[in-house]
Amino acid sequence: MTNSVLGLFKYEDEFLEAAGRMKESGFHEITLMSPIPVHGVEEVLGKKKRIIRYFAYAGAVIGFTCGFALAVFSALSFILPVGGRPIITIPPFLIIAYEFTIFMGVIFTLVGFHVASGLPAWRDRAYTMESNVDRFAVAVACTDQTAAEAERLFRELGADDIKRVEAEI
Amino acid sequence: MTNAATSDYVEPRFDEVNRDILRTMLETGRGYWILLGTTVTVAAGGFFAPWFYQIHVGVGAAGMNRSAVWGTYLSNFIFWIGLSHSGTLLSAVLHITQSSWRKAIYRSAEAMTLFSLMTAAMFVMVHVGRVWFVHWSFPIPNEMELWPNFRSPLMFDVMAITTYLTASSIFIYMGSVPDFAAVRDNSTGLRRNLYTIFSFGWRGTDREWFTLGWAYTVFAVFVIPLAVSVHSIVSWDFALSIVPGLHHTSFAPYFVCGAIYSGTAGIVTVMYLIRRFLGLERYIRALHLDNLGKLLIVLSLIWTYINVLEIVTTLFGGSSYELEALKFRLFDFYGPLYWGMILFCAFVPLLMINRKIRTNWNKMLIISILINIGMLTERFIIIATSLPRKFLPDSFGFYFPSWIEISITIASFAVFATLFLIFIKWVPCVSIYEVKETLTPLRRARK
Repeated sequence: MTNSVLGLFKYEDEFLEAAGRMKESGFHEITLMSPIPVHGVEEVLGKKKRIIRYFAYAGAVIGFTCGFALAVFSALSFILPVGGRPIITIPPFLIIAYEFTIFMGVIFTLVGFHVASGLPAWRDRAYTMESNVDRFAVAVACTDQTAAEAERLFRELGADDIKRVEAEI
Repeated sequence: MTNAATSDYVEPRFDEVNRDILRTMLETGRGYWILLGTTVTVAAGGFFAPWFYQIHVGVGAAGMNRSAVWGTYLSNFIFWIGLSHSGTLLSAVLHITQSSWRKAIYRSAEAMTLFSLMTAAMFVMVHVGRVWFVHWSFPIPNEMELWPNFRSPLMFDVMAITTYLTASSIFIYMGSVPDFAAVRDNSTGLRRNLYTIFSFGWRGTDREWFTLGWAYTVFAVFVIPLAVSVHSIVSWDFALSIVPGLHHTSFAPYFVCGAIYSGTAGIVTVMYLIRRFLGLERYIRALHLDNLGKLLIVLSLIWTYINVLEIVTTLFGGSSYELEALKFRLFDFYGPLYWGMILFCAFVPLLMINRKIRTNWNKMLIISILINIGMLTERFIIIATSLPRKFLPDSFGFYFPSWIEISITIASFAVFATLFLIFIKWVPCVSIYEVKETLTPLRRARK
């Protein structure tokens, strides 16, 4: 039972070209693996959703609100009058709100990263260690019937090595 | 060794980057254990033992007294917070501005941030005396319905430092995830299992890189204003009082500038040690030293300007209290320390205008250490020359640190070194994937 076929390439441009050709040949489930972030992936595989920023905005807004509310709540819970000054003092409370904005923004961005990247991974997925060193891997989802076709295409495209893996991409 | 950028530099291959950097983690010589043993011993004997003694006999064991209620502990706190600044801040700024030279040095710089912050936080605990009540500074619901007074700059500090510690930890961790995967792939047994967890199962897919890139940029955007706010807030611990010598509007930029200055000098020191003792000459090069040197010159000039500004505005203001505080700072008991600080932080850095000095590792090591001695002195002077001498001469006091404070101050460097030494065996101290990014792209044209 083959789940995926990996084509390993030595060069970045070959790898991107191969990804595009595999897509054109009808392999729609494609994952690219590389030792560094590669520019130009979106041109080949299409735009990705930038959802992290929504998490960051949400975190920042929630943080600001919670920080300010906490400062106000604390001041009202334990009233400490100082020289006739107001109990709810905006300037210092804004500093607390500012710090909370960043605190929650960072935490929410972290959550956003996990949601958007699908990490941590809870099951085994197709992977080859070389792609974390010096090879660029194109992984395509295959059945036993389509695996041979994928291998042939990878060979044509100049893959250095081709691997069949019994794991989903 | 002059280490000027030479034309005989041979770019490493991708697999060599993995091999060279992972070697620093996976191979441990006897020298490492001896050094770690030394730092642990010094930290235990010089930092923790005097601290426990102080806990046992009370905070009176320190040299602080009725008028000088703050002393070396808090000046060290500012120093370590300051040292933490360049790491994450510089890394974030250089990431946003896409300066590729940051890539070989940022991981260690960020680690420096983290461990400086931890050391700084320890000084707060040492300072407060009854450390078991330190949780009172956090807004935790309690049966007495007591809440922290959020109008106090000390509470701003608690919030700012907690946020900074959290954000810096996340920032360095997220940037290390792809490298944890590289360690995982090169390990067996327990280490492999641990790094499988640390790396979250990272494979380096297009989706993972894309998400990490976005997340990292967003973190950087959050961290920059945060770092600026942290040291501004530390400065307000002093400047929001009305104590002569502390009540200056320029304190926030003065502290932020000083923090980045000492932090950048700290990076040079750390880079020297990592490069020299972990054999990373191929990755941490004269280019990095040259750029850090230029940055140090600029920061030194800004720092000097603010120091001159402080004197001029005090003279201009004509307040007798301020003038008295200034006179005491410049020409009294601590005068030699002040002028020593000016020598180390305003004049010595000017040597770096010469490129030969700027790209010489040994000379830069000495300059960076002198800058940080100057900055440690600066923080001490700020507290020791102002707080004990406020308005009424009959209440003037004097502060001189006790042996406990001196021991804890010196041994705090061992605490920092211990944390850093542990770090370099758990996290690649140079970012593997980002160094690869700076290499010539692997394209078919190179065949």
